[in-house]
Amino acid sequence: MTGLQHPPHEQHMATPPGRGIFDPQLLDRCISCGFCLPACPTYAVSKDEGSSPRGRITLMRALETGRLDEDDPRLREESSFCLGCRACEPVCPAGVQYGDLLEEWRDHQWRGRHRPPLAQALMMVAERTPLLRMMGLVRRHARTAAVPVQTSLMLGCFERGLFPGVSRAVRTLLPDIAVPPQQGCCGALHAHNGESEKGRELARKLGEQLPGTIVTTAGGCAAHLAGVLGRDRVHELSEHLAKTGATPVGEVKIDGRRARVAIQDSCHLRNGLRVFAEPRALISAVADFVPVRGDESCCGSAGTYSLLRPRDSKRILAPKLDAYEAAGVDYVVTVNPGCQQQLHANLRRRESAIRAVHLADLLAAAAEGRPLTRGRRWRVPRVRFDLRRGSRRRGASGGTAGWSA
Amino acid sequence: MTLDRTLVAELEAIVGAKHVRTDPGDVEPYARDATPVFRAVPDAVVWPADTEQVAALLRLATERRVPVVPRGAGSNLCAATVPERGGIVLVLTRMDRILEISPGELLARVEAGVPTSVLADAAAAQGLLYAPDPGSRTVSTVGGNVATCAGGLRGLKYGVTRNYVLGTTAVLPTGEVISTGGRLWKDVAGYDLTRLLTGSEGTLGVLTELTVALLPMPATTNTGVAYFGSLAEAGRAVDAIIGDGIVPATLEFLDAKCIGAVEEYANLGLRLDAGALLLFGDDGPADVVDRNLGRIGEQCTISGALEVTLAEDVARSEALLTARRCSLPALSRLGTLTLLEDATVPRPRLAAMVDRIDEIADRYEVPMATFGHAGDGNLHPTCVVDQRDEAAIHRAHKAFGDVFAAAIEMDGTITGEHGVGAAKLPYLAARLGADQMALLRRIKAAFDPAGILNPGKLGS
Ligand SMILES: Cc1cc2nc3c(=O)[nH]c(=O)nc-3n(C[C@H](O)[C@H](O)[C@H](O)COP(=O)(O)OP(=O)(O)OC[C@H]3O[C@@H](n4cnc5c(N)ncnc54)[C@H](O)[C@@H]3O)c2cc1C
Ligand code: SF4
Ligand code: SF4
Repeated sequence: MTGLQHPPHEQHMATPPGRGIFDPQLLDRCISCGFCLPACPTYAVSKDEGSSPRGRITLMRALETGRLDEDDPRLREESSFCLGCRACEPVCPAGVQYGDLLEEWRDHQWRGRHRPPLAQALMMVAERTPLLRMMGLVRRHARTAAVPVQTSLMLGCFERGLFPGVSRAVRTLLPDIAVPPQQGCCGALHAHNGESEKGRELARKLGEQLPGTIVTTAGGCAAHLAGVLGRDRVHELSEHLAKTGATPVGEVKIDGRRARVAIQDSCHLRNGLRVFAEPRALISAVADFVPVRGDESCCGSAGTYSLLRPRDSKRILAPKLDAYEAAGVDYVVTVNPGCQQQLHANLRRRESAIRAVHLADLLAAAAEGRPLTRGRRWRVPRVRFDLRRGSRRRGASGGTAGWSA
Repeated sequence: MTLDRTLVAELEAIVGAKHVRTDPGDVEPYARDATPVFRAVPDAVVWPADTEQVAALLRLATERRVPVVPRGAGSNLCAATVPERGGIVLVLTRMDRILEISPGELLARVEAGVPTSVLADAAAAQGLLYAPDPGSRTVSTVGGNVATCAGGLRGLKYGVTRNYVLGTTAVLPTGEVISTGGRLWKDVAGYDLTRLLTGSEGTLGVLTELTVALLPMPATTNTGVAYFGSLAEAGRAVDAIIGDGIVPATLEFLDAKCIGAVEEYANLGLRLDAGALLLFGDDGPADVVDRNLGRIGEQCTISGALEVTLAEDVARSEALLTARRCSLPALSRLGTLTLLEDATVPRPRLAAMVDRIDEIADRYEVPMATFGHAGDGNLHPTCVVDQRDEAAIHRAHKAFGDVFAAAIEMDGTITGEHGVGAAKLPYLAARLGADQMALLRRIKAAFDPAGILNPGKLGS
């Protein structure tokens, strides 16, 4: 038997060697099957392959082989339009580690002066531990003496200043946990903004400052830290409570009935560490948990995204807020400070009756039998960054600063 | 070729400037689909919003002799959407409305860009089943399914996409809008153009709207698994099952190499000492399903199965189906270039064909594993190599040439469900013969006199 005529225009050229921007092991994994398309929030709003995970990997490949150069406007645009939410990872049959690819992409694409100035500024603040300590001092986060212990709470760089109540709530739930005030940023901010080496360095340093198990109330930080320090050393709060067998006590009530509570997953907690059942179980223990369509997808906070791309951020959030309102819930629980800020600010803006509350706050309120306070107003003059002109404007009225770390 | 400025302006006038892209970074992602290796960059990408816009675009393209390649989700595996001659890629993803689901008439009307699983879910919400379920259903579009006549895991009992298309709205390359078929199960007025357009791979017209048949949702489904010492024994079991008068919804197989790869990837607790795995499933009223699965199990045992297990619950049943669905990704992890084919033979020759494939793979020294739809003889021999190893890729292509020849020799075909596209066009004449090839070209010319619609594919 002989084979059929070999195709004359056979294109079986082997892949040419690349420029070394990407780890070929990571980039070669993608089989272009397209399974990631329906999971991607930016594809959902654009319906354009170029704004999908598969399309972005095609663009990365074009960058790697030199078919497109780094100044290509679409390459620049997509490296920043991508939320970095990693919703494309759990659905990928080939196990493509998209988050790692995106870090390598931004390391190159956003190197030096190509980095958005705002991201640069935030990173500089986060690297300065004394500054972080000061913010926390003013806002009174929880603290204990720094004794070498098994388990300590990570305060988070911006979280300690923005949501100091969260660490206090954790102390209510875990009275024995140590909260040494001398601790820096975990470096997730850097890793997601084109400084992945610095991001790893900061994580290692934090690992030295907090020996033993690190408990964090920030899903995004948990995923980054676990990636550097090892999965075993890092527990996100809900995971820690589940692992230590802590049973939530009490109940959250509104007008004499159990509160109806939905969740907003933290992308990296869910897609990176695959933790999503734990917070749901905890909520169900103290309130009526309401699953809402899309509660697993990115809220548009996405690290610095809501600051760098406010319009896209809102476009991605809007249908989600509609869904929460349609479900008629009282609270949306968050497990990451960036999501907390994003939901809090935007629910307020649309004058919604729903409040965003961190999981720690919900559980502490249940345990103490106190009503949950209204989402707190962040009392500083609104600082608006106008990115196109690169200038800063001070808003006339008070409001919410668009922080998210 | 690059498009001249006035043409781009005319495209923009039809669909709006926002929906026309021509920059290199914007068109690069449309250079390929799910097919490995094949790649060609288009000159423009357009996203029409409705049938009228599609018609205006095609009229313009015919007038200017510019190639147009229709594209759904780009999940096809035969390079059917690779714009080999450049031109315009016409993407239907903006046309994604479900127009109607009619439980009374058991049908649905959708725009072409609706994802398959969105249609299936919407039907299920009304207690109805959209039966075609290609493995890619979460990604693929209904338009793409019809254009490729997609199959799936339920083909034996339920047939393929073709069996569910009642009517289409299609735009001819010259701009006329035609309606074929409709809401009727019986309609013999004229040639069956609905069937002709089904599987035409975007070479005869652009489908903009489809009317598809639905079924009542079966009450239950269940799954079981049987292990055999060899694929030949599994093949005998398949004959015995159907000989016993049972047509199960699902009858899938994995060879020993696939079992190994899947177990390594998904840890489902599969038996690694078996030569073949047969996955069977059925749906319907609970008592009928139970009885059928029991009889299938018996036939497997009689045919020499090492072990037969029925899924005790839905979760286990899903896990077993996962074993089949993840065959391709599991294999793909063994290397960096996964070449997948879908040669198909009459069911009784399945085992013989798998032996032939193994022999060919040995001869060309390429690793090849085979899984597929045992119920309908549709095989997926899969070859995993290193994408930088030119020699191995070359040997793999040679090996597939032999696989196709073997399939044809056994009264089979070069592709059961993935389609011809650019990837298998060179082998098509061997399957159809010169007369049919010439007829295909005449049909193509009747629809598309200027030859602008997906050139270099079917009908070329
Ligand atoms: C992991 C994986 C599993 C798969 N499993 C199966 C399976 O089980 N069974 C199976 O049959 N296939 C399978 N496929 C192949 C593929 O998903 C199908 O061929 C599917 O029907 C393609 O749909 P699409 O929307 O992606 O079409 P595309 O890939 O975009 O297009 C396919 C062809 O249809 C044409 N086309 C698309 N839309 C239109 C339109 N509106 N009008 C006219 N022409 C149009 C295109 O020009 C092209 O020729 C699988 C693919 C992958 C990656
Ligand atoms: S799902 Fe994974 S392998 Fe498939 S296209 Fe997306 S990233 Fe690539
Ligand atoms: S990280 Fe999120 S936004 Fe970026 S490609 Fe993946 S799914 Fe899309």
